[in-house]
Amino acid sequence: MKIFVHSHRVFLAAIQNIFRNAWLGIATVIVLVLALTSVNLLVGMNVLIGNAVKLLEQKIDVTVFFKQNANEALVTQAKFFLAELPQVQSVELLQADAALEQFRARHAADAEILSALDELDGNPLGATLRITARAPSDYPFIIDTLKNPQFTDAIESKTYDDHADAIASVRSIGDYARKIGAILIAIFSLIGMLIVFNSIRVAIYTQREEIGIMRLVGASSFFVRAPFVIQGIALAIIALGITAGFVAIGIAWMDPMLTAAYGGDPGLRTYFSQAWPRLALIEGGGLSLLIGVTSWLAAGKYLKR
Amino acid sequence: MIKLRNVSKTYHPNIQSLRDVSLDIEQGEFVSIVGQSGAGKTTLAKLLIAEERPTRGKIEIGGWDITNIRTREVPFLRRQIGIVFQDFKLLPKKTVHENVAFALEVAGESGRRIRDIVPQVLKIVGLDEKHHRYPRQLSGGEQQRVVIARSLVHRPKVILADEPTGNLDTLNTQDIIDLLRKINEFGTTIVLVTHNRDVVNSLRRRVITLADGGIVSDQKHGKYLIT
Ligand SMILES: Nc1ncnc2c1ncn2[C@@H]1O[C@H](COP(=O)(O)OP(=O)(O)OP(=O)(O)O)[C@@H](O)[C@H]1O
Ligand SMILES: [Mg+2]
Repeated sequence: MKIFVHSHRVFLAAIQNIFRNAWLGIATVIVLVLALTSVNLLVGMNVLIGNAVKLLEQKIDVTVFFKQNANEALVTQAKFFLAELPQVQSVELLQADAALEQFRARHAADAEILSALDELDGNPLGATLRITARAPSDYPFIIDTLKNPQFTDAIESKTYDDHADAIASVRSIGDYARKIGAILIAIFSLIGMLIVFNSIRVAIYTQREEIGIMRLVGASSFFVRAPFVIQGIALAIIALGITAGFVAIGIAWMDPMLTAAYGGDPGLRTYFSQAWPRLALIEGGGLSLLIGVTSWLAAGKYLKR
Repeated sequence: MIKLRNVSKTYHPNIQSLRDVSLDIEQGEFVSIVGQSGAGKTTLAKLLIAEERPTRGKIEIGGWDITNIRTREVPFLRRQIGIVFQDFKLLPKKTVHENVAFALEVAGESGRRIRDIVPQVLKIVGLDEKHHRYPRQLSGGEQQRVVIARSLVHRPKVILADEPTGNLDTLNTQDIIDLLRKINEFGTTIVLVTHNRDVVNSLRRRVITLADGGIVSDQKHGKYLIT
C-alpha cells in the first residue's frame, strides 16, 4: 500500500516538476532534439550515399557488340546462356536490324551520317547485347564467360574494359562512404551522449538545494531520485516525438529535390518508413536509458547528506 | 532523550570541531547552545541529524544509537526530529501547503492524513490563511514559521533549531522564540543554537556554552556568558 502511494506521488512529483521547471525542461528538450536530429541527419545521409552508389552501380552494364556477320542463332544462344547465369540481372538483345533502326533514329537529325549509311551496302552494324550484373563484382566473371571460344569469334568488341576502372572506383567510394558514415554516426552519437549527460547534470545541479531540503525532511533516496528519472525519460520521449516530426518534415521537403537530382528514387522515404520502429526503439531506448542512469547518478551526488 | 558520550568530530584534514563532548538532554527540556563562531555548534547539530558522523564517541536519540547509522535509515531519523536550520529553506516552487505536505508525502502518509495535519500545524504557526502562497510571497519571519510548521508534522519529540532567527529583526525573532516556547509547553524537547544574547537571557532556561569544540559551561537557568 505504501509502495503504491509512493509511486503515485513520485509520478505526480515528476509531472509537477516538469511544469514548474518549464524553462529547464524546454532547454533540455532542445538539447535532446538537437542531438537526436544530428544523429538522424547522418543516418539519412548514409542512406542517401548508399542509394547513390546503388543507383550508379545499376547504371553500369556491359555491352557486347557482335560482328556484322555473326549468326543470329548464336547471338540468341549467347543471350539465353547469359540470362541463365545467377550473376546476371538482365540481358537485353538488339538484333542487327533493330540496332540499325535505333542508330538511324538516334541520328535522324544528322543528314550527313544518314547519307553515309545509305551509301553502304547492307547493315554495317552487328547485334548488341546489353548485360547488367547483380553486383559490380560479378562483371569480371561475366566477361570471363564471354571469353568462351564459342562466342569470342563472333564478338567484335566489349565496352566493359572501358568501365572496369569506373566500376572499381564506384565500388570503393561506396564502401568508403558507408564506413565513414558509420564512424560519423558513432562519433555523433557519442558527442550527443556527452552533451545530454552534461545538460542533465546541470539541470539537476540547479536543483541541488531542493534535493538537500528533501533529504532533511526525511525523503528516502528513492523518493528524491525517482522523479528526476521519470522526468528525464518524459523529456526524452517528448524530444523523440519532436525529432520524428522534424525528420518527417525534412523528408517531405527534400524528397522532390533529391528525386530530381538523383534521376530516380533517393530511397529516403522508403528507408525511414520501414525503419522508423527500429530507429525509434534504438534512439528512444538508448536516450531514456542514458538519461535515466545520468539522472539517477547526478541526483545521487547531492544525496550524500 | 539525547545522549552524547565523549563525542569528537574531526573534519578532514585535521580540523577538530568537537572534542570529547558528553551531555544529556531530557524529554521536555528547552536547551540553548551558545558559543563563538566556530565553536562547533552547527557541527553538534549536524551530528544529531546524522548529516555528519562522529569521529569518536557515541550518540543516542530516544534510545536509538545513531553513532554508526546507515544511510538507508537516516530518513527515518529525520522524520523523528523537527529540523529548523537557518539555511534549510522551503522548496521555492511549492506553495506553503505543499511544502508542509511534502514532509508527510515523503513518509508515505495517506492523502487524508495530510489534508488533516497540514492545516493543523499551519494554524499553530498562524499561517493557515496563507497556505496557498509561494515562499517568495512571504516575509522572512513567515517563511521561518512555515519551516517550523513543517518540522512539526511528524509530531517530533525533539526540535533542533540552528540560528532560526539569524536573519530576522527583533520583533520577528521574538515571534519565533514564543512559538518555540509554545511548542515546548506541549512537551517537545527544544534544542536551540543561537547567537542572540537577548533571546537566551529572556528564556531563563538551560544554557550550554561551547568554546573551541568543548563544553565550558552548562547551567540550569543560564545566561549568555560570552563577551
Ligand atoms: N565541512 C567542514 N569541513 C571542514 N571543516 C569544517 C566543516 N564544517 C565546519 N568546519 C569547521 O569546524 C569548526 C566548527 O564549525 P561550526 O560550523 O560547528 O561552528 P559554529 O559554532 O556553528 O559557528 P557559527 O556560529 O559561525 O555558525 C570551524 O572551525 C569550521 O571551520
Ligand atoms: Mg553555525
